[in-house]
Amino acid sequence: MSSATSAAAAPPAHRVSGIALDRFSYDDAVVRKFLFATLIWGIVGMLAGLLIALQLANPIFNFNTEYLSFGRLRPLHTNAVIFAFAGNAFFTGAYYSTQRLLKARMWSDGLSNFHFWGWQAIIVAAALTLPLGFTQAKEYAELEWPIDLAIAVVWVAFAVNFFMTLIKRRERHIYVAIWFYIASIVTVAILHIFNNLSVPAGLFKSYSIYAGVQDAFMQWWYGHNAVAFFLTTPFLGLMYYFMPKAAEGPVFSYKLSILHFWSLVFMYIWAGPHHLHYTALPEWASTVGMLFSVMLWAPSWGGMINGLLTLRGAWHKVAQDPILKFFVVGVTAYGMSTFEGPMLSIKSVNALAHYTDWIIAHVHTGALGWNGFMTFGMVYWLLPRLFQTEIFSKRAMELHFWIASVGIVLYVVAIYSAGVTQGLMWRAFDETGRLAYPDFVETVLKLMPMYWMRVVGGSMYIVGMFIFGWNIVKTWQRRPARYEVPVVEAAPLAPTYVEEHPVVPAPTLWGRFNQVQWHRAWERAPILFTVLTTIAVIVASLFEILPTFLIKSNVPTIASVKPYTPLELAGRDLYIAEGCFNCHSQMVRPFRYETERFGEYSKPGESVYEHPFLWGSRRIGPDLAREGGKYPDLWHVRHFENPRAVTANSIMPAYPHFSTKPLDFEGIQSRVDAMAMVGVPYGDAVNKAADMAREQARRIAAAIVEQGGPSGLEDKQMIAMVAYMQRLGRDIQVNRTAETTGSGAGAASGAASGAGSAGGSH
Amino acid sequence: MKLSDIMSYAQLSAYTEIALVLFLGVFIAITVRTFLPSRRQELEAAARLPLDDDHVTTPRTPRTPEDR
Repeated sequence: MSSATSAAAAPPAHRVSGIALDRFSYDDAVVRKFLFATLIWGIVGMLAGLLIALQLANPIFNFNTEYLSFGRLRPLHTNAVIFAFAGNAFFTGAYYSTQRLLKARMWSDGLSNFHFWGWQAIIVAAALTLPLGFTQAKEYAELEWPIDLAIAVVWVAFAVNFFMTLIKRRERHIYVAIWFYIASIVTVAILHIFNNLSVPAGLFKSYSIYAGVQDAFMQWWYGHNAVAFFLTTPFLGLMYYFMPKAAEGPVFSYKLSILHFWSLVFMYIWAGPHHLHYTALPEWASTVGMLFSVMLWAPSWGGMINGLLTLRGAWHKVAQDPILKFFVVGVTAYGMSTFEGPMLSIKSVNALAHYTDWIIAHVHTGALGWNGFMTFGMVYWLLPRLFQTEIFSKRAMELHFWIASVGIVLYVVAIYSAGVTQGLMWRAFDETGRLAYPDFVETVLKLMPMYWMRVVGGSMYIVGMFIFGWNIVKTWQRRPARYEVPVVEAAPLAPTYVEEHPVVPAPTLWGRFNQVQWHRAWERAPILFTVLTTIAVIVASLFEILPTFLIKSNVPTIASVKPYTPLELAGRDLYIAEGCFNCHSQMVRPFRYETERFGEYSKPGESVYEHPFLWGSRRIGPDLAREGGKYPDLWHVRHFENPRAVTANSIMPAYPHFSTKPLDFEGIQSRVDAMAMVGVPYGDAVNKAADMAREQARRIAAAIVEQGGPSGLEDKQMIAMVAYMQRLGRDIQVNRTAETTGSGAGAASGAASGAGSAGGSH
Repeated sequence: MKLSDIMSYAQLSAYTEIALVLFLGVFIAITVRTFLPSRRQELEAAARLPLDDDHVTTPRTPRTPEDR
């Protein structure tokens, strides 16, 4: 660092052919920091993944402690690999390439370091709060509101630093990799802010301002674009910089890369609804999502081909150079997952794949193959340059490549077959027209061999990760006592643009158009350009989202649907804290094999008070949308205490702490108040939530004793859980002829009076 | 009257089609511009930018084996 600052302070006196050249150096210290963070969090995130893979193969790996149960650790795994591993990898490559492509040191070393340490602090906060059960229940946006605020602050610091560097750049043309970075930075900020709008009910609890269909729509607009703008566009930017570097030749077609960029930016933002096919989402939205997803296939494959053909004339090097091997497999994995993504978004394919492990296989092709291998290739390419020595072991790189490749194949093949197997079992009817596998757990047990194969494949990938880490540390140990900080020279951009070769306006209209001088002026204003692009993205998103929010006919209300009672709300919050939604959907799709198995299909109007929505995305256990009244209260008590006592071979973690931990009755009031603030008509409950909850708890506890169960549960968490379970799906069961009404007023007043009446479940 | 009532009566559905046409138009314009013959030279130069970022006055000396 010290030599860096002295280099930066060197006098800008040097002159070449009349242009004063700036002398400066690049900040590689922060790149080295991000590189180590990538390694450390990669190992942590993948080990968490291994643990939850073991938990699915055998529930003893939940260790009977609430802090290590699958529902709490699964978001830890996804957040760690997405935001900690892939995030830090993106920052590593972005800080290295941005400075060089713009011929400028990062604008502020202070902001670079703030970004680094702030991001790591956020990751630590996530790793602490998720096992403690603080979650918003939205996939990849689980972190609670104080951490969300911190993310916004750190991201803005990164953006300010980045855009100021862009303004101070010394290279007129902004290379396409930088475009991908810009799109990522801007879009992630927008997505993060809008999806996390919520009303706090305490330091680590909040309720989404959106409910039901709107919340689902918002979440998957976020969720899909988190994949797009956190895992795809940043890594495409890295691809367009580091692949030409490693191949020692320019990208195959720069024009294609421009089209790749614009078509992704235009299309990705619309694709989110394909996560909600056949749910209570309006049909038109689901169709728009499918069409745009299928269209995305073209630019994605254009980009993949562009990446692979960058190696034209360098294919002989691929055999010798492990870095190029990582890139080739990484880009191929991008091609495979972007073929599969559009395919999965086709409704009929989605009907089979949704809620199954197929989706898990799909994301792991992307995460392990694309993000992982691009990161490994990039880091191996960076190591000699950042640590100014040779890589410690090239053979270890080879070994890492092969063991990780075989690991991916084992993982993905096993989990694909698990997904298709379970999907087919769910929909199978026997010759008498009844479900062939009516017992849900049967369709889970069938997957066990595949789950163990996943453990093997995943472990191989992690072994590769340790080899990677060993090689990095060994290379780092060979670094010079003092890093050389090369001084770079480049001419500053003239304050007013001076054409090097002034253009004589062409005589014809087409000629002048073809000279594109009219467009040059826009290009000289990257910040204005960014602002306009951002507005375009927001407007496009609003056109997609607003109709479901504001046009009432899109979400018909159902008069019999009432808000949860205070006790049920407390139970729902426990359901959220335990991460039950990671394994149990609450969304019966309108297929005969679903309604036969679970009951009446779910309606949009049923989730108007669901802040946040809990439709789920994976069924490791059965759907719970119609769980209420299916079993006696005591069944739930026994089942929570030890699922295997009720369902042999169930892989659900046990929740014995529900029977011992006291329920915080006094805390319920602030939660009801927060729910009332986001628009749930709570009526009487806004004044006496705790009393109402105690009253309902006493009744349920008495019923449990009557059924021959344990006494003394009336002040335990178990009561709230049972109350919530027994309420699920009851609103339309109670009154099957409930008329669908387009007017909200009648339903709202009816709901307000009904809020105090315990929802009719007890 | 709530905002959602106003929006419901505002007949906004045509705007989504207008937005689609606008976005498609912009995209076509970008495509045409990218393939204009006059831009060829500029884009070829741009493609070489990643390979052209070592304007170094104190070049990195390659490490000799004794340095290790």
